[in-house]
Amino acid sequence: MSAEQPPRPPTAKLPAEGGAAPLMEVEGLKKSYGPKVVLRGVDMQVTRGEVVTILGPNGCGKSTFLRCLNLLEQYQDGVVKLKGEVVSRGRPEDRKATEEEQAAAQALRLRVGMVFQRFNLFPHMTVLENVMVGPKKVLLRSHSEAYDVAERMLSKVGLWEKHPCDPLTLSGGQQQRVAIARALAMNPDVMLFDEATSALDPVMTRDVFGVVRELAAEGMTMILVTHDMDFARDISDRTVFMEEGVVAAVGTPEYIFDQRPVPGIQKFLQRG
Amino acid sequence: MESIREYLVEQIFIWKLLAAARYPLYLTALAMPLAVVFGLVLAAMRRAKTRFLSWPAVFYVEVVRGTPLLVQIFLVYFALPKLGHLLFNSDILTIGPFPCGVLCLAGNYAAYESEILRAGLDAVDKGQREAALSLGMSERQAFGYVILPQAFRIVIPPIVNDMVAMLKDTCLVSAIGVRELLKTAENIGREKANLSEMYMAASILYMLLSLGCYFLGKWVEKKLKAKGGQELPAGKFEH
Ligand SMILES: Nc1ncnc2c1ncn2[C@@H]1O[C@H](COP(=O)(O)OP(=O)(O)OP(=O)(O)O)[C@@H](O)[C@H]1O
Ligand SMILES: [Mg+2]
Repeated sequence: MSAEQPPRPPTAKLPAEGGAAPLMEVEGLKKSYGPKVVLRGVDMQVTRGEVVTILGPNGCGKSTFLRCLNLLEQYQDGVVKLKGEVVSRGRPEDRKATEEEQAAAQALRLRVGMVFQRFNLFPHMTVLENVMVGPKKVLLRSHSEAYDVAERMLSKVGLWEKHPCDPLTLSGGQQQRVAIARALAMNPDVMLFDEATSALDPVMTRDVFGVVRELAAEGMTMILVTHDMDFARDISDRTVFMEEGVVAAVGTPEYIFDQRPVPGIQKFLQRG
Repeated sequence: MESIREYLVEQIFIWKLLAAARYPLYLTALAMPLAVVFGLVLAAMRRAKTRFLSWPAVFYVEVVRGTPLLVQIFLVYFALPKLGHLLFNSDILTIGPFPCGVLCLAGNYAAYESEILRAGLDAVDKGQREAALSLGMSERQAFGYVILPQAFRIVIPPIVNDMVAMLKDTCLVSAIGVRELLKTAENIGREKANLSEMYMAASILYMLLSLGCYFLGKWVEKKLKAKGGQELPAGKFEH
């Protein structure tokens, strides 16, 4: 890592109030699949309202990292905090989750929204039902409350007129925007996007990025993995460059893209 | 006058035969839902991580699929009461022909339905579970609200196929004396000395019932296709 990196918030003591308080903190996250070590101790802090993009070559562990953050994958070592409170810890691969850990994982996922590369809308439900199912079945809202939330979220992504449709009749870009609305309907603290536009053509990509920009303007905290360098540069408050399972560099997008503080970035950007 | 009456009495057997056509429907209507429910249990056991659950399920499925249904029916009907006498010295394991028939049909088809259901559950994209979990659903909610409904759509066509097959297999329970369609046809045939005509009549009735089931199945399938179901080749008679 370069010495002239911009100052990062200290991990030790944090102000109780104010914009600099980290919303999400990740300390020493390690993850392996059997003998294959994928994440070698990732540290990251994300402040409230911040948009962080994660870049890095294929297979460096970006997706795995996001999936660990909401425990779609269990990691072996490290700790994740939300608003200063420990929400998950590493666990040895051979130990199964206890009931408490499962409940804690569910509670964590409630606070972390996730948008997938392949949308993963529920094909047996309408667009409206896709967005309503979380508030209804998980948050136990009444039908009319859930309906109101769904209407607001679908309007926000510009797709309220599609609410009675089957999701599979929509274009990829529209499906992804519905997926964003579905995650937003749970009112998460932070949203994770794993290559949300990799399966989309440029026009649809633009629509989805439009929604992401809007969310950023509204102050939503987001962590995005993307291969779109222009977008990353444009939207990021901070950019993280990952390499072989560790954070190799972190800083403003200008710092990462222009100064290219580690040789890996140089190679990565030339290839892209 | 007398001769007309005699003629009508003579013709009553036709109504008896037609009335007996309800038995294949009864037996199937009772046994098939049971087979699907039991099949779902077997499929869940087989997907379980502990061998204590998965191995018995594998064993059951392989044994049932490896032996003829007729033999299974005889075994349950004749050997089970003996076992009851041996173990409990009572009639506790003795069951009547009709319940025994339903049980055997259900138990046999459950093995096939479990394989269909297992394939159906596997055919649901892994991303669906992950999307459900990421909304904060529990594993159980993800299964109930997201995975099972989708698997269900996938497995309807092969299960309907098996339902048609079961309709025809119901004739096997005549072997333990259930007075269903085949048995009724035989009884009439013996009485009237027109056995071959009665077999023919029974065949036509089985065929009409099968066709009815088949078209019902096609209709359901079409309804589901319109809602984006997938295809899954499987089923007892498509192996
Ligand atoms: N379920 C798994 N079992 C074993 N290895 C895995 C598994 N999932 C991912 N890996 C490995 O972990 C490493 C990191 O994968 P990951 O998908 O996180 O990379 P990525 O940075 O998201 O790459 P990409 O840019 O291609 O999406 C890869 O080497 C991959 O082969
Ligand atoms: Mg990835």
